[in-house]
Amino acid sequence: MEYKSQEIAKFYFYPALLLFLIQILLGLYLGFSYSSTIPQDIVDVFPFSTARAMHTNLLVLWLLLGFMGGAYYLVPEETKREIWSSKLAYLQLIILLVTGVVALVGFFFGWTQGRPLLEIPRPLDMLVVVGALIFLYNIGMTILKGSQKTVILGTLFGGMIFLALLYLFGIPFYKNATIDWYYWWWVIHLWVEGAWELVTGAIFAFVLMKLAGIERSVVEKWLYVEIGLFLFTGIAGTGHHYYWLGAPKYWLWVGGIFSALEPLPILLMVIDTWNHVKHRKEEIKNPLTWTLAVGTAFYHLLGAGLFGFVHTLPAINYYTHGSQITVSHGHLAFFGAYALLNITLFYFVFPKFKNIEKYDERKGKIGFWTMSVSMFLMGLSFAVAGIVQSYFERFLGFSYMEAQLYMRLWMQIATIIGIFFLFGAIITIYDLFNLKEKKFA
Amino acid sequence: MDKKVAFWIFLLGTLSSAILFLYLTFDTHKQVKVLTKVENLNENVVAGKKVWEKYNCNDCHTILGFGGYYAPDMTKAYKRLGDENIKDILKKPDVIFANSKRKMPKQNLKDEEIENLISFLKWVSEIDNNEWPPQHSEKRISRTALRMSLSENIGVGAALFKVKGCITCHSLQEKEEKRGPSLAKVGSSFDLETLKEIIRNPKTFNPSSKMPPQNQLTEEELQKLSEFLLSLK
Repeated sequence: MEYKSQEIAKFYFYPALLLFLIQILLGLYLGFSYSSTIPQDIVDVFPFSTARAMHTNLLVLWLLLGFMGGAYYLVPEETKREIWSSKLAYLQLIILLVTGVVALVGFFFGWTQGRPLLEIPRPLDMLVVVGALIFLYNIGMTILKGSQKTVILGTLFGGMIFLALLYLFGIPFYKNATIDWYYWWWVIHLWVEGAWELVTGAIFAFVLMKLAGIERSVVEKWLYVEIGLFLFTGIAGTGHHYYWLGAPKYWLWVGGIFSALEPLPILLMVIDTWNHVKHRKEEIKNPLTWTLAVGTAFYHLLGAGLFGFVHTLPAINYYTHGSQITVSHGHLAFFGAYALLNITLFYFVFPKFKNIEKYDERKGKIGFWTMSVSMFLMGLSFAVAGIVQSYFERFLGFSYMEAQLYMRLWMQIATIIGIFFLFGAIITIYDLFNLKEKKFA
Repeated sequence: MDKKVAFWIFLLGTLSSAILFLYLTFDTHKQVKVLTKVENLNENVVAGKKVWEKYNCNDCHTILGFGGYYAPDMTKAYKRLGDENIKDILKKPDVIFANSKRKMPKQNLKDEEIENLISFLKWVSEIDNNEWPPQHSEKRISRTALRMSLSENIGVGAALFKVKGCITCHSLQEKEEKRGPSLAKVGSSFDLETLKEIIRNPKTFNPSSKMPPQNQLTEEELQKLSEFLLSLK
């Protein structure tokens, strides 16, 4: 580590990994709820809805902790100075964690805003905003006082501001359900297919640049093109969520056309990453980081690009909207685009905290492949369940519960695969906490 | 391509998409008033939406296709179930779903909350949302009728006449009375619109009619069935 304040990142990453683990455990409970009949007495106390609120909010929280920690790590190196205020960074972390814990406990006792993914109650939203403002101020001041201004910094900071602004649209109470969902997607879609792509694009470019020793100008040129395409297709592509909510018919066209183009920037990212690997100037010290980086790019294309594309066109989406197909896409996309990015970042940064040059990679490799393969198979199982559901319920007109019973086998398979995913995650988390210098015999 | 060109790709790509999106948002706000029938969006509906949110219904159920996927979609629930069924389910889910493989938590709602929630679901069911979900679309035709139409090489309207049970009470042979009159020449007595009206509300044509109103037919089925009847001359 070149700068002392880069260490802040560590304290963001540790809780992130713990939350990741809890998220998976709750996911297993959700899978179990689909696979078997949970008795009424348990459902009354801990319903699916509560577990789902926890599962999804934990996902958002641990990913954001990763992104913010990533920002605290890379901003000093990019600006060539320490973080403006370490104290503020820790204060922000405490606010974020307190909000998260209170929200999770609150969900259990039925304290909720009652809107999927945005369940955090409004009073707590205020704390989230305070935390976000502290973060933006701290990073902003660091960049302002820094001696180097880079495209990576601009993309990161721009993405974070965009991210924070969009969150505001999720706070008000909307009387009209259609308008409510319209702006709900400003948070959800424009986060994952806009702001988050900027933030992670910047982090990914930084990691690649450092790993491969490639010239900044090359990396940043492609970063511009990628985020340009991401935002061009992603902003108007929000329309693919506006097909069936009571909005005008032109969204079928706008959503269909723009979202059909959405895989393009991801494809460019894969090609770009591949080129960096081929033209690298540094020797590969830890091949695992490269496996992870290339894996992230490919999985991003698979989960977000391909699995999103298959049901984004209105004629198909008419039958698959709100089915397990969405669940399949959601899991593959979040894992491929964001969870893997964080894990790549952790494997890049953690050895530096401990001054490790070269570490033993066996556990890391097992962890990566176990998680990646089981998530892929889980995504496929959800997809088959979704096809069965769409056919029986939407096409043939069977009742909801009848269709659910036809697809139940596939939900059971997905749940069993989930247990393998849990093992992969445990190995990865254990390995990250226990990295050691590899001794040569 | 140098960095400057790349920058312009970024700037123009982002701006063009954002401008289009913001303009359409502005227009959507205007059109949503009509599409969601805001004149019916009264205090009870708003109170009902708050009940929907208070009990986190949306993390099991979907509405307009959004939410948890663990329980049925509520977009057209009002049309599917009606007031009384929704009330029963909300009051004692443990009894209603005693034999179901999936349970609904007891929420112990107040009567007022139930009334408001029903108003909300009624309002949602009337949103013009491009005929989604497909199984409750007014453009849907019974799959059984479609299959019969193909396999027996008869028109869709004729197939509906059999599948929907019209044939139980009405003969297509002249002068053959079943429970209801023969329809062998019905097409020469009425026009299309009158036929539709009679099928939906038999009593408007003949106040002493014993025929049940055929509310379960979708608009498309009603159209096809009436076209078939019109052809009987």
